[in-house]
Amino acid sequence: MKLDSSVLEIDLVETAKRATRFIKEYVETSGTEGIVIGLSGGVDSNTIAALTSRAIGGDRVLGLMLPEEETRSEKDIEDAVTVAKQFDLKTQICDITPALRSFYKSIPIFDQSDKLCKGNMKARTRMIYLYYYANKMNTIVCGSSDKSETMMGYFTKWGDGAADIYPIIDLYKTQVRRLAEHLGLPKEISEKPSTPALWPKQLAETELGIRYNTLDLILYGIERFMDSEEIAGQLNLEKATVETIRAKWLYSEHKRRGLLGPKLSYRTIGADFRIPRDPY
Amino acid sequence: MKNRIKLVLAQISCKRGDKQRNLQRMEEVLLEAKKQSSDLVIFPELCVTGYANRDQFYELAETIPGPSAEKIEEFARQNDLHVIFGMPELSGKTKGTLYNTAALIGPEGLIGKYRKMHLPTHSVFEEKRYFRLGYQAAAFETALGTVGLCICYDIFFPELIRLIRLQGAQLIVCISASPAVRKEYFEILTAARAIENTAYLAYVNLAGVEEGLQFWGGSRLIGPTGTVIAKAKYDEPDLVFCELDPRDLRPAEAFIPTLRDLRPELFDKLKLESEKI
Repeated sequence: MKLDSSVLEIDLVETAKRATRFIKEYVETSGTEGIVIGLSGGVDSNTIAALTSRAIGGDRVLGLMLPEEETRSEKDIEDAVTVAKQFDLKTQICDITPALRSFYKSIPIFDQSDKLCKGNMKARTRMIYLYYYANKMNTIVCGSSDKSETMMGYFTKWGDGAADIYPIIDLYKTQVRRLAEHLGLPKEISEKPSTPALWPKQLAETELGIRYNTLDLILYGIERFMDSEEIAGQLNLEKATVETIRAKWLYSEHKRRGLLGPKLSYRTIGADFRIPRDPY
Repeated sequence: MKNRIKLVLAQISCKRGDKQRNLQRMEEVLLEAKKQSSDLVIFPELCVTGYANRDQFYELAETIPGPSAEKIEEFARQNDLHVIFGMPELSGKTKGTLYNTAALIGPEGLIGKYRKMHLPTHSVFEEKRYFRLGYQAAAFETALGTVGLCICYDIFFPELIRLIRLQGAQLIVCISASPAVRKEYFEILTAARAIENTAYLAYVNLAGVEEGLQFWGGSRLIGPTGTVIAKAKYDEPDLVFCELDPRDLRPAEAFIPTLRDLRPELFDKLKLESEKI
């Protein structure tokens, strides 16, 4: 199999239609009023803003902006507001700084210098806000995880990884960017460098150590059972680079799994107790 | 076989797990079919219960004959129609053995049933987890002519469709619950099976969304040379009223005589080689 950028081409019209239909059907059968999304100003959440608006109408979608003191970016807020206006979304800003400070203060072992633990707490705090709104307004939380970061485990477990639905989780980042453009998002947003905004100046590609257009091809090869040597050969990479990506994918499986417990009885939740989502 | 057979491709969406509601929808379609003087109404795979029922198949499955099949028999009798539909069938001999079954009912009652022989258990499909494999290809003689039945993934197996054809089926009916990513395959394979067997092929797919699976609809009647005679909308429910004329089979068979040119000795080898892979 040839591994070049053409393999990541998708039918954008069909993809948008299917993602939209998925969202609409879920909301309709969930018995809820609409959707709440975390609106960071980045390409993923702005794409979700466009899709959810198409699916159920922007007036039923709330875009929640959740900045905090260390990573607050007026540019991101401006971008989020621009897209929200474009797709008629309602928006609200909640500064999560006071909540975070309370957490920092109330945890006896809290370590300011451990930016990963602290950053994850920010993502989980955003999740608490999103679910509060969802709960209060009888809506669902729509996640904006894409396939690249999900395969890499590049998200916070029970943080930005927590949602009721994930309409773009089967699209690699480079595909999300094309979809964003197709949906009419400004180019500067569709091409904007990604950041989880867990600490200042954090950039996904820098942290992952690889450009998304290469990463996505490696992941595509892994998805299609290609071995590391073949992927590396086709992409002119060191085999070790591919092996590192493969290891990250395998190691992070625990983040992608649902409820995991030991098998102790007849039908086990999360294992072989398999029922459909929507009741009848 | 009658000279002109009027079909309804009943591309419905199902309320998953709600047999009462689905049977009600089927009855509505049959009444409409009666108004249009139709002969045969074809519903999708597992349409009585919906497709994505997971463990609840154990609670939803019924014997055939059984309450749901009898209800459809009643509709068929009242409306003087032939009906093909799919449902999870509970074995009459055990309590937990299920089949993914297509039933053919005529105005006089149950004509026959086919238990799906190829159960997809890959990708998003988990049919072998719930269903036992069928063991019999099925072609039934009816007042409309000989009708062969297959279900969805069966269409990927030309040997089964060939067998149905050799059993005399002039109309091959494939009921389906195919999600969107498979659309291109089915569009090619349904036409191929019709052409290579010089038979009519009616393909009826579900529409709607269940558990994230988006059924793409696109039901169709294909003629014996591969012409798409009628086609339903993509993605949404649709009823397509169409006709076939069995007299068109002879010129098709003469033009591409695949049945005349069959080489039976290949089938022995096919069996031997397929046991070795």
